[in-house]
Amino acid sequence: MSDFIPSGSGGQSGWRAGMQKLGGNLAGMVIPNIGAFIAWGLLTALFIPTGWLPNENFSSMVGPMILNLLPILIGYTGGRIVHGQRGAVIGSVATVGVIVGTDIPMFLGAMIIGPLMAWILKYIDKVLDPITPPGFEMLIGNFSLGIAGMLGAMLGYLGIGPIVAGITNVLGNGVSWLVDNSLLPLASVLIEPAKILFMNNAINHGVLGPLGVVEAEETGKSILFMLETNPGPGLGILVAFWLAGPKLLRGSAPGAIIIHFLGGIHEIYFPYVLLKPQVVLGAIVGGAVGVATFMVTGVGLVATPSPGSIFAYLAVTPPGNHLGVLLGIVLSAAASFVVSWFILRLSKVDSTEEEFEAAQQRSKEMKAGK
Amino acid sequence: MASVSASDVKQIVVACEAGMGSSVMVARQLAKQLKSQEITVVHSPVNQLAETPHQIVLVHRGLSARAKQAVPDSVVIIFDMFLGDLNIAKLVGALQNGDTISDG
Repeated sequence: MSDFIPSGSGGQSGWRAGMQKLGGNLAGMVIPNIGAFIAWGLLTALFIPTGWLPNENFSSMVGPMILNLLPILIGYTGGRIVHGQRGAVIGSVATVGVIVGTDIPMFLGAMIIGPLMAWILKYIDKVLDPITPPGFEMLIGNFSLGIAGMLGAMLGYLGIGPIVAGITNVLGNGVSWLVDNSLLPLASVLIEPAKILFMNNAINHGVLGPLGVVEAEETGKSILFMLETNPGPGLGILVAFWLAGPKLLRGSAPGAIIIHFLGGIHEIYFPYVLLKPQVVLGAIVGGAVGVATFMVTGVGLVATPSPGSIFAYLAVTPPGNHLGVLLGIVLSAAASFVVSWFILRLSKVDSTEEEFEAAQQRSKEMKAGK
Repeated sequence: MASVSASDVKQIVVACEAGMGSSVMVARQLAKQLKSQEITVVHSPVNQLAETPHQIVLVHRGLSARAKQAVPDSVVIIFDMFLGDLNIAKLVGALQNGDTISDG
């Protein structure tokens, strides 16, 4: 187990810690704002023309929220992480430049310019603070932020907006190419193992979500929200561990199933896979089967289901898509269960419980020895 | 290697990626087990550990390198399972017995 997670037991910081950190920062700008995403997702699911209760007045909020509010919140939070309240304010101001510079939802642009401007302001403050005469703190503080914010918004409008729009276009075209050629299920080969290594939030909120909202804004739904968040593969793995896993792990599996599938905390199944790394194959197969089902039935979600619970899924499924969505979840759970069950059964021969305990003992000794 | 005496432990922080999902769950469970010890258990994103007051950090093995990076001088306890973990059980035992607690 310690061998499988190199950056864990030792103090070293490998590429994984670096990737996690970058992804963690991206996700850290999005996750505190998920409540706003849900408000927007529910408004969309209910009131757009193809929604449950079409209503022209209420649906007029959908566009401004996705185009303006959500990117500004991301820029705000990104700035706050770097430089507190002042960073949050300048991040928001600069994000407006990025938003107006393009006509797609600018999540990625906000993730860049929010922290960037906060970082610049941090250095401006560092220079100005020592030379500010007493009594001029407020004047200088307000105008340094105001002027830097204005310049940041202009930079966003002219530079970052168009560049990120270009990148988003290329990535979006790449995704449609994968969809058109029925290759999208292959994404699971990358996504599922990365999830297990705790990059789940980075992938979903950092990459797939921002691309998904662009698609959802155009077509009303996106399959990209479902690639990482499908609770089916994890469910299949946990059921397999419950029925065929090492005896020590069986007891906790039912509780983990509830927390994973109903509560949406996917992290809970990662340790099971880390203890039996071969089971990741079950996650990959399950994920691919799920994506294939979603693709064939042509379903999508209106917003990121976060956390990845079955309840969140149902809440952001647009009318007429429930059958395909549920079918995909069920089939992916079944596929991952079958594969994981066989792996657990087969590996039982060479890995008895004593060996598992010995492995735990070994990892404890390694920890004690460091 | 950092260590701390159980009697000095006032606040334990559980860290996860976002500080809103799995860490909240673990923190709530631990708080229940430590109710009689007058120890508060909070949760935090792993990136913001340095700004969260604590005597002990609790983090999953997959994020432990980043926790150590963030707070190199703190006692960092690593766990593997989100439910029924042996290291967490050991930590609770040590706190209840008043032992000295070090990294592990």
